[in-house]
Amino acid sequence: MTATQTLVVPPRHRHRVATDAQLRGRWWKFAALLVITAVVIVPIAGVLYLSTQPALGSSATSFTLENYVKIFSETNVLPWLRNSLTVTLATVIVSVAVAAPAGYVLSRGRGKLVSGYSLLLFIIQSLPVVTAVIPLFILFAKMNLVDNLVGLTIIYVGSTMSVAIWMMAAYYDSIPIALEEASWIDGASLFGGFLRIVLRNSLPGVLSTAIFSFLLAWNDYLVVLVFIRSDTSFTLSVGLQSFFQQNATNWGLVMAVAVIAMLPPVILFAVLNKYFSVGGIGGSLAGR
Amino acid sequence: MTSASFTESMERARRGVGVGGSGKAPRSRRRGIAPGRARTLTLLVLPSIILVLLLNAYPVIYAGVQSLRNGDLIIAGDFIGLKNYTSVLTDSAFWASARFTLIFTLVGVFGSWAVGLGIAMLLRGKVPLGGFFKVLLLLPWVVPTVVSATAWNWLVATPQSPLPALAKALGFGNVLFLADPLLAQIVVCIFKVWISFPFMMMMMSAALASVDNNVYEAARVDGATGWQMFRHMTLPLTARSTYISWILMTIFCVNDFPTVFLLTHGGPVNATQTLVVKAYQTVFLEFRTGPGVAIAFLMTLVLVVVSVLLFKGVQKAAIE
Repeated sequence: MTATQTLVVPPRHRHRVATDAQLRGRWWKFAALLVITAVVIVPIAGVLYLSTQPALGSSATSFTLENYVKIFSETNVLPWLRNSLTVTLATVIVSVAVAAPAGYVLSRGRGKLVSGYSLLLFIIQSLPVVTAVIPLFILFAKMNLVDNLVGLTIIYVGSTMSVAIWMMAAYYDSIPIALEEASWIDGASLFGGFLRIVLRNSLPGVLSTAIFSFLLAWNDYLVVLVFIRSDTSFTLSVGLQSFFQQNATNWGLVMAVAVIAMLPPVILFAVLNKYFSVGGIGGSLAGR
Repeated sequence: MTSASFTESMERARRGVGVGGSGKAPRSRRRGIAPGRARTLTLLVLPSIILVLLLNAYPVIYAGVQSLRNGDLIIAGDFIGLKNYTSVLTDSAFWASARFTLIFTLVGVFGSWAVGLGIAMLLRGKVPLGGFFKVLLLLPWVVPTVVSATAWNWLVATPQSPLPALAKALGFGNVLFLADPLLAQIVVCIFKVWISFPFMMMMMSAALASVDNNVYEAARVDGATGWQMFRHMTLPLTARSTYISWILMTIFCVNDFPTVFLLTHGGPVNATQTLVVKAYQTVFLEFRTGPGVAIAFLMTLVLVVVSVLLFKGVQKAAIE
């Protein structure tokens, strides 16, 4: 046993001991990354820092949290936050619920209809949102869905559809069909096999799709700008923009609102960054 | 397909990477499903078809019809043929806007790709605190555009802002970054690169991760220089991901509304007005629906042609 081990050097062993040149290279890279990261992070660090600095007309002189107290008690930040959370979570749930079964058909089905649908999704994806917004605005005005959070959610679900379906399909592609076939032999229906075998093993795919939908709905600006008119129905993105226009350079207050607007996506990213896959979008496009 | 490559593609999919081509392999495994099950499949896909037709296909067709009429948001108007298109195409403001859209897209795609690839290469292999840097560097992509636009406004817009203050201290006098047309264009482009490079970083990191380290070691033994390895190995080996990321970023840049609108509103004197912003302003501020939709359609037409050309590049890279 020991003899064979000395004969066959595990390939990893060669990397374990770094040479001086490699170590120097590492520290050089570290220094470069440190400088780049510091420069890149300036605007975001600025937001955090300014949100804790006294606003205009404040009696505080240094670090303070009074901006946060003030924006929650004196402005509509709370309704904006509630609107953003409601609309975003509703979008995530509906788009995953619709895309998960549709992706299964795209992954397992074949024939002209399936590939035609896949092509339709690709074309739709490259169209700008502006073109869809105009007719939907006219349609929603007739249905009383303008200035309405339900209307907003419906549009977000529509804009997540194609990428969400691709992402789910790309994940199902990695699950061997033999697993379902075995369940069919055991008497499961097609739907049963999908639900109990495929979907059950697709949590990472579901989470990636959910994150994608979350960011799309949370970060949107154009659709809210067009469809929402009253201040209390704003989401945080338009709320922040209107607050910024009214309080121009009162940075302490403006940045406190900005922190509230960026916190949920940043927390989501921190918790689920394993599933955070911008690459997943590319991968699902490439596979089709 | 061996079980080893299967576990590998499972792992890649779990990480959400998939760019190295994991989507392709299982296709050969598809054995299809018995025809009697067509009804279940239809039911599974039906909700999405209804949503796509109602929320995506119908609006586009309606907008197409509207671009041939002289109506606004309330009245449908009369049929006027291609007049909206000819009036848009003969408008010099449209071409100025198209020109800036082209610059914005070129800088956005290649700028963020170069920065993203550079950082991805720095992050490759063992670097102290590598994971920590990666998380911080992804923030510009995660933070909502409204927040970053506010932050950049603070950074450059007022005379008291850090960058103008710095310019003054360096002896450039009072530089008004968003009031000067050329400077505003430069700031908007840099802002776009700042927002987009993390996307490229992730795409290219995933692509680099699938390149075998031994290839580089072999080349180093043969005496290849760093630039030669980059030019003849890194670039060709990641070509597929590069093309895909270019296609996606081209679509993202051309269709990008908030980045420009929130920072400059298309100003000063329309210098930073991209075609999307122009389409929006034509419809919702000037209430001219037909020309607005015509602008969006012309833009999309060019976009689709460019995407298809780039897609050919992907297929070529896949064959090699």
